[in-house]
Amino acid sequence: MTLSGRTAIAGIGATEFSKDSGRSELRLAAEACLAAIRDAGLAPADVDGLVTFTQDANAEIAVQRELGIPALRFFSRVDYGGGAACGTVAHAAMAVATGQAEVVVCYRAFNERSGQRFGQAAPAGRTGSTGLEFSWHLPYGFATPAAWVAMQARRYMHEYGATGEDFGRVAVAMRRHAATNPRAWFHGRPITLEEHQASRWIVDPLRLFDCCQESDGGVAVVVTSVERARDLPHPPAVIAAAAQGTGPDQMMMFGYYTGDVAALPAMGVVGDRLWRDSGLAPGDVQAAILYDHFTPFVMIQLEELGFCARGEARDFISDGGIEIDGRLPVNPNGGQLGEAYIHGMNGIAEGVRQIRGTAANQVPGVEHVLVTAGTGVPTSGLILSA
Amino acid sequence: MNDLDERLTKLAARLAGAGESPPAPCPDPIGLAAIRTWTQAIGDTTPEYLDPVAGVAPPAMIQVWSMPGQGVVHGRGAADELLRLLDEEGYTGIVATDCEQSYDRPLRHGEHLSSASRFAGIAGPKRTALGEGYFVTWYQTWYDETGERVGEMLFRVLKFRPRPPAPPTGQVPHPATSRDTEFFWAGTAAGELRIQRCAGCGALRHPPGPMCPRCHSTERGYTVASGRGSVHSHVVHHHPPVPGRTPPYVVALVDLDEGVRMVGNVVGCPPEEVTVGLPVRAVFERVDDDLVLAQWTPVDALEPEPAAEEPVPPDALAIELTPTFVIAAALATRDFMPVHHDPAAARAQGGKDVFLNILTTMGLVQRYVTGLLPGAAIAGISIRLGAPAYAGDTLTLTGRRTGEHTVEVRGAVSLGDHVTATVRLAEGNR
Repeated sequence: MTLSGRTAIAGIGATEFSKDSGRSELRLAAEACLAAIRDAGLAPADVDGLVTFTQDANAEIAVQRELGIPALRFFSRVDYGGGAACGTVAHAAMAVATGQAEVVVCYRAFNERSGQRFGQAAPAGRTGSTGLEFSWHLPYGFATPAAWVAMQARRYMHEYGATGEDFGRVAVAMRRHAATNPRAWFHGRPITLEEHQASRWIVDPLRLFDCCQESDGGVAVVVTSVERARDLPHPPAVIAAAAQGTGPDQMMMFGYYTGDVAALPAMGVVGDRLWRDSGLAPGDVQAAILYDHFTPFVMIQLEELGFCARGEARDFISDGGIEIDGRLPVNPNGGQLGEAYIHGMNGIAEGVRQIRGTAANQVPGVEHVLVTAGTGVPTSGLILSA
Repeated sequence: MNDLDERLTKLAARLAGAGESPPAPCPDPIGLAAIRTWTQAIGDTTPEYLDPVAGVAPPAMIQVWSMPGQGVVHGRGAADELLRLLDEEGYTGIVATDCEQSYDRPLRHGEHLSSASRFAGIAGPKRTALGEGYFVTWYQTWYDETGERVGEMLFRVLKFRPRPPAPPTGQVPHPATSRDTEFFWAGTAAGELRIQRCAGCGALRHPPGPMCPRCHSTERGYTVASGRGSVHSHVVHHHPPVPGRTPPYVVALVDLDEGVRMVGNVVGCPPEEVTVGLPVRAVFERVDDDLVLAQWTPVDALEPEPAAEEPVPPDALAIELTPTFVIAAALATRDFMPVHHDPAAARAQGGKDVFLNILTTMGLVQRYVTGLLPGAAIAGISIRLGAPAYAGDTLTLTGRRTGEHTVEVRGAVSLGDHVTATVRLAEGNR
């Protein structure tokens, strides 16, 4: 028995994406959840489960109170930063499939630009085993996500001959997609490869345009059974597979100490499970939402998920391969580089729109979409099907 | 041209047109008490300066005689009006940058000098290490009681807009430790790079942990690493600011010869020289009393600490710049600018502590040359100031004779050259 085909995403909702929301994170969460519930044609009283990120500041019971949900029968959190995104849907799907809950809302809301910015130096003072992990790195000024990803990117360049221009092609494609997505922060603002190459160093080998945005906003999705979803207003985005994964000797974001630094083994674990449970193969998906906090990891994900062989992502993307009319359209919404950084949850919503056929940059004939969560950390993924 | 530049230009033209001010008498005659205070503060032991009968004044003291003293604002300086305008416009910082003195004849105890000044020019605005500013130059001339000129000086200051104090860079974060990791940090403190070794199966492991993932033993020891390895990967951090680190800096993942990997900074070479595969060796960086970090440097790099020093020539003169030295010398030269005796005032204009005043630097250059060439008669001293000589630093003066009548003098502090000077010897010197 697997989870495949038993549940679906029936509603999606979001706030606007901005650099300064001007309101509390709890309000953003409540607004996004309410929008998703209404999009599903449901009312808060229909909801009996809430799932969010361990990192989210808004407790399930706080969101429950704002929405006036009478009772929760399932609540859960998923850890490891943006790696949690698809994991929230996996938890919700498991709860619905096992009868623990009937309608579960997954949400993420933050003021990540106007409040605490993840791109700044990580504060010391974490405790427990995670605090010890950070302690091998923070004293050396190795303190930002860009730096942690750059360490793997350098090795990837060394192993496979990838270049900063290859990374730039990912950024250019994402910004091109965002340019025609009215919801995107960078709507109407594409960049050229030359502009990418001229952008300043953040952590060499990563430039400014290799780094995703910092955003304020909230996104929520509603998970229920396929049967119930078929009675609701929108065509269901059936959860064909949902998986979480870690790799060997996994750390929060420092998977450097054993094995291949030019790889993302946790995503390999997730991909294997997604293909197995869905019965699909890479050639069967018409679009992919790949977590793009930093451009090099889009390339490595293409390899881990089997879209191309190790080291060949640069060829895969070289001639528009990840653009809307390419062999695998990636992040038609512009991703987190172009649309907004809502910790991967806006990518799930885009996957649902591609299945519904309602996306701003709609890929024709979409039957299956693969969605991934944050990389470099313990991660997760989904395959959504029409 | 903006409004300020226009006003400065107009004012400079008026001041230049005014020529030299009428000579005004110095506050006191040349006297033994002032000279004794000065020689003691500067550390000059030339006996002629204190001879009550045949005594002469130290040439480098010439400006001291006309200093107005604490609390006296005479406003007679040729550039004073312009300096006040710059103050009003926010250019409140001031440092002397150049001083060129020439001495027409030795001055005897008891002579009562007069002094006059004339405006020379203004240049700017210029961007400097201290902040945007204007260089203002004037001349000062000294006359004896007969009206005969006895010395002249070119004096240049930088009037600058102090930079807002830099945001605190913060401290290097200290690691959290546990019973499983504290041996590592005790090791770096002892100058050892320790790798956990499983007492059950001998496997090495970094970062360490409580249970061997291979044999599940919880018995552990460690081995001391050779400190040799090579760069597996690396990054150059540029942005954003990180507490305790100054970008750009390199963070590397190092493959130790023993087979484990560690993260650390690569120090002792420019970031662009770090490559994958670069052979490195461990060095230890003492961050503070409680933290020593294992760092990495190219195997062929010189020891980064202490920095390679040029050999000190045998005739070098090293002067410990204690706060008392800096303050006593400022007061002995009758310089009451707060930045030379009040640390808060020095910090307010971007300095890190009180620093030597230019009259003292003149005196020290003279002391050095007369020590190098006893009995030499000095006809002039020209100095250019560079890095500030802060209290707590050491000023090391070195020099060489570059001509029959010239000696070049350098005075270095930890920040670089504090002073470069040319000393002219009078005709008839050896």
